[in-house]
Amino acid sequence: MSIRLVIESVVFVYPDGTRALDGVDLEIGPGELVAIVGQNGSGKSTLVRHLNGLLRPTEGRVLIDGRDAAHFHVAQLAAQVGLAFQNPDRQIFAGRVRAEVAFGPRNLRLRGATLERAVDEALDAVGLTGAADANSYDLGYSRRKLLAIASVLAMRTPVVVLDEPTTGQDARGVARVRSIVERLSAEGRTVITISHDMRFVAETSRRVVVMRAGRIVLDGTPAEVFAQPNWPALASTYLEPTLPARVGARLELGSTPTEASLVAALAARAARAAQEG
Amino acid sequence: MTADGEIGTRRSTLPEYVLRPTSGPYRSLNPATKLIIGIVEVVAAFVVGHWTGPLLVLLVIALVGWRAHVTRQLLLVGSLTLPVVGSILLINTFLLPGATDAILRVGPLAPTWSGLAFGLQVTLRLLAISLALALVYLTTPIDDLLSDLEARGLGRRLVFVVGAAVNTVPRTIERAAEILDAQRARGLDTEGRFWQRARGVLPLAAPVIFGALTEVEEQTMALEARAFSAPARRTVLRPLPDSAAQRLLRWALFLGAVAAVAGEMAGLLRLP
Ligand SMILES: Nc1ncnc2c1ncn2[C@@H]1O[C@H](COP(=O)(O)OP(=O)(O)OP(=O)(O)O)[C@@H](O)[C@H]1O
Ligand SMILES: [Mg+2]
Repeated sequence: MSIRLVIESVVFVYPDGTRALDGVDLEIGPGELVAIVGQNGSGKSTLVRHLNGLLRPTEGRVLIDGRDAAHFHVAQLAAQVGLAFQNPDRQIFAGRVRAEVAFGPRNLRLRGATLERAVDEALDAVGLTGAADANSYDLGYSRRKLLAIASVLAMRTPVVVLDEPTTGQDARGVARVRSIVERLSAEGRTVITISHDMRFVAETSRRVVVMRAGRIVLDGTPAEVFAQPNWPALASTYLEPTLPARVGARLELGSTPTEASLVAALAARAARAAQEG
Repeated sequence: MTADGEIGTRRSTLPEYVLRPTSGPYRSLNPATKLIIGIVEVVAAFVVGHWTGPLLVLLVIALVGWRAHVTRQLLLVGSLTLPVVGSILLINTFLLPGATDAILRVGPLAPTWSGLAFGLQVTLRLLAISLALALVYLTTPIDDLLSDLEARGLGRRLVFVVGAAVNTVPRTIERAAEILDAQRARGLDTEGRFWQRARGVLPLAAPVIFGALTEVEEQTMALEARAFSAPARRTVLRPLPDSAAQRLLRWALFLGAVAAVAGEMAGLLRLP
């Protein structure tokens, strides 16, 4: 069900002259699980807003499933690319939780039982089934954020973009986001997350794109991006490698961005030592 | 709000609300002087004669606006009043009760000269009042006006409430734009047919207003946390330039306005 996204030499300048994207080339294949990271103001949100036409490139092209996004309305592209905003309060408006989640799929002309099913599934995915009839504004910040995500999931788009889903979430909330992302990916959908939480990024994504000042400076698997030679590049956009990555480097175990990879590398070394000794 | 990187990083898209130069002709006057001038203009447009007051005020505004380089903005404000003004003119011309001096008759319609004259007077007054207030706004940063009024002893609470309300405007516009974007991202059609767009935009009023209110509430709490209500005398951090001449002008204008109101009420002024 998934589609290919291509961003071709995109430059974007805001009306006030801010050059937020300065020549970005990025291709994301069907079903990829990608994280976009980079310091505040590096252009992450600006970039993903090009994927559904909310922003149009000043220069360059955006191809959604092989077709130039310039020829489609946002409302049309929204059926392909679902985007959950960074700030849930700029997204939530419908009063009741259920109505909020139903808004997107209704716009995509889902009706009746299909609509109900889409809404129920989305609420279930974020763990808000029990709050379906609550007033959206009565939910705490972290649950409003999950609600904003659910309202995008319900549209069942082949591509799902989550702008900073982990910000403001406690450990349980982050775990929840992680399970949402993994579930979407298992369904074969393309998932793009923006996050400042490097642990979350290393553990959930299969590809990490690092941005600085409107450009992509690193692009690879977590093990590649968090490898020691890239640390200066990461530091230049105020990112730190994860703790397991630093420990792994100190112990000369290679690139171990996650706890699991660190443990595996340690186990392998122990096994080798046992064999030799 | 911790999660909102955007407020921190985004530069306002409405710089003219923030960047109003305070030097140059008229602009450099003390905010209170400009406010008094504005108020006196409003009063004069209302009470002095039928034509004299509004026309005189409009003339003054045109001259001052030209000197302060805000003619273009004043014209914009003027054109914004057109729908209201236009309908007032039409209604009075055609429907002024008791008017009999018909200009012509077209079937059941009979526009009258006295209706037209009355409508024009109302129109000129409205225009003069809106432009007088716009002139104060365009030449005076609201923060300056408020801190000046505060230094003159106006209640801090009142100053804060007015200031918060005014400051909310540009941010509310930005928020409204982003909320609209979020709904477009969920398939709301704002590029299609007109009625579709209208239907989509209406429900967004709620989060815009809700957001503006929470923001002001949070600001209030943040201020309280910084001892806003502590009962101590405050130092004026940034006294704004004032002069004896301006003080004199303000009193003269004030007394002149009182005299004009009194004269008009006593029927002494018989201006056209
Ligand atoms: N509406 C706007 N008008 C003008 N400049 C803007 C606007 N929105 C963003 N910018 C600027 O564009 C640049 C990129 O912003 P963007 O929001 O894409 O960054 P980001 O990587 O998402 O940052 P964050 O991590 O803070 O969310 C920044 O310099 C920002 O100030
Ligand atoms: Mg952002």
